[in-house]
Amino acid sequence: MNATPPLLSVQDLSIRMGGTKTNLVDGLSFDVGIGETVCIVGESGCGKSLTALALMGLLRTPPLHLNGGTALFDGEDLFRLPETQRRQIRGGRMAMIFQEPMSSLNPALRIGEQIAESVRRHQGASREAARTRALEMLERVRIPAAEKRLDEFPHQLSGGMRQRAMIAMAMANDPSVLIADEPTTALDVTIQAQILDLMRALQSETGAALILITHDLGVVAEMADKVVVMYAGRVVEAGPAASVFHDPQHPYTIGLMSSMPSLGARSEKLVTIPGVVPSPLAMPEGCRFQSRCPFAEPGCAMRPVFTEIAPDHGVACLRAPLEGTLDPGLRETGT
Amino acid sequence: MTAILKTRGLRREFLTKKPLFGAPTVVRAVDGVDLEIETGETFAIVGESGCGKSTLARLLVRLIDPTEGEVWYDGTDIAHVPAVKMRALRRDLQFVFQDPFSSLNPRMTVGALIEEPLHTHGWVDRSARKARVAELLTRVGLTPAHADRFPHEFSGGQRQRIGIARALATGPKVLIGDEPVSALDVSIQAQVINILEDLKDEFGLTLVIIAHDLAVIRHMADRVAVMYLGEIVEVASCEDLFAKPRHPYTEALLAAIPIASVGARKAETRLSGDLPNPIDPPSGCRFHTRCPYAEASCANERPALTDVGGREVACHRVHEVQLKGLAEDAPARSPAAQARFQMYRAASAEKQKPNP
Repeated sequence: MNATPPLLSVQDLSIRMGGTKTNLVDGLSFDVGIGETVCIVGESGCGKSLTALALMGLLRTPPLHLNGGTALFDGEDLFRLPETQRRQIRGGRMAMIFQEPMSSLNPALRIGEQIAESVRRHQGASREAARTRALEMLERVRIPAAEKRLDEFPHQLSGGMRQRAMIAMAMANDPSVLIADEPTTALDVTIQAQILDLMRALQSETGAALILITHDLGVVAEMADKVVVMYAGRVVEAGPAASVFHDPQHPYTIGLMSSMPSLGARSEKLVTIPGVVPSPLAMPEGCRFQSRCPFAEPGCAMRPVFTEIAPDHGVACLRAPLEGTLDPGLRETGT
Repeated sequence: MTAILKTRGLRREFLTKKPLFGAPTVVRAVDGVDLEIETGETFAIVGESGCGKSTLARLLVRLIDPTEGEVWYDGTDIAHVPAVKMRALRRDLQFVFQDPFSSLNPRMTVGALIEEPLHTHGWVDRSARKARVAELLTRVGLTPAHADRFPHEFSGGQRQRIGIARALATGPKVLIGDEPVSALDVSIQAQVINILEDLKDEFGLTLVIIAHDLAVIRHMADRVAVMYLGEIVEVASCEDLFAKPRHPYTEALLAAIPIASVGARKAETRLSGDLPNPIDPPSGCRFHTRCPYAEASCANERPALTDVGGREVACHRVHEVQLKGLAEDAPARSPAAQARFQMYRAASAEKQKPNP
């Protein structure tokens, strides 16, 4: 692998709700390199959005609070920086796109003013210069009739256009890390395809790193260089996208991939992951997936160690690789 | 095969709020739809937001009245029967809503919720009703003890099961689901899809599924209708539609699906632009503003839905353009990973056997 240190390195991030004994995000670690796309994938409640908010310094504290961990960005630990400095970084060198553009844009401000505001704030640009920059950004995210849109309000734009405006705003200060939390979930498929294309194009133009948070494995396969699969607050599997999709290891990853209806020839019945995610108040000891895992055994009551199973591809499962632990015949022929 | 539900020239208009001056604007949410849904099939209606698919679903069971047109069920035009008669027909036509959080009355217990339609449809014997509730809860994978709880005590997937149990209470012949699984997580979605399919076989239901997720449709549907701005643009069997679409909009929809396999999708046939405003739809073929194959003449005349080799397509250029479908490739996986998927399938079936 390359020897250059990662742009952003998250180590052992834990987030907890005040008054509870379980970490909602528990010991999360991952690295993002320059120009790289890391996808964090998981179902509702797995802690993927909390992770994004924590990195941006937007956790609602209280009741949530950081319970350990570091996030090295440009040699500084984001979590130890004073709020004034974090404010400099937020929206500047690190920017975020949210799922629902309608609720994250200010409905009372014209699109142009919203973009210009962050340019003036971070670059100290004049009113005119900021407006020019806003126009330039709207053109870069390929909004038709950008000049006119500059003076429109968010409600006058369609969902796809609003998301483009959000992206324009996030990219206005040339961030080196862009965090996108389910940026296309609220959009129709044809618009989703456009937005994903746009994010890829902007990324190759600017060299920004992208942390993409999604529940959609299709989006992951299309965008990711690296994948982090989360379940109930923990990383269960992580690695290069090609390796994770070609050779998934964790029973949860396999279950998730199996339960997606396939677009190819129809299978008789969908394979499911039985049961539901345990509540944070009743999290099992040890592996958090054990209550739903078809391969669970008594040893799963101990927390599994995250182990590298292929180059850069790690998995937190006692029984990985499954074919080796379950079927001695396969193990002999396989290795 | 016989059609269980049939629509003729179905049209529904909505008025926008009356402005200070002038007349309110008319939105044609569903504009001249002719459909035949056959007994025992799973029929899917797919389209993007604002295409009128939910309005169409509601028209099919007369949750709303059409502005014009007919809906035939069992020899009756349900769009024009008196309310009393309609109520009796509702026994046969039931609806599952998208959002299991807003479609269940939070002040009623699950038992009361499922019992209510039974009461309405003449189940006078209280103990028979209770027994039926217990049976229904078991059928959808819950337990009879859940009857005494309230909706907020359940997860999204469980609530959707409750919604399905309630819809099944009266023993319907047609079940219409408006995005029944789209609010659910993938792993839960698979559970609910399996339940719907099991129940369909068990009760001999005809399923009408409204969805925007093409993978769900590929898995469940026998036939599919594609809607764009209030009109049906293509109706075909599920296999044909995915393998060889005949309408450019269908092709574009298929090309836009992200596929969960690295490097599977090439960036091509991307639709440019947004869905036009339904208040003021484009002239002629409504898709011509975004269609990569459109000619000048497409803006003039509205194409009719016509039979093209066993399917129906509304496109002027249907015989001229060659369109691409989805390849049926299984995701590329290592042999060891394939073994793991097999093991997972077997182990999860085993795990779910004794305690369904």
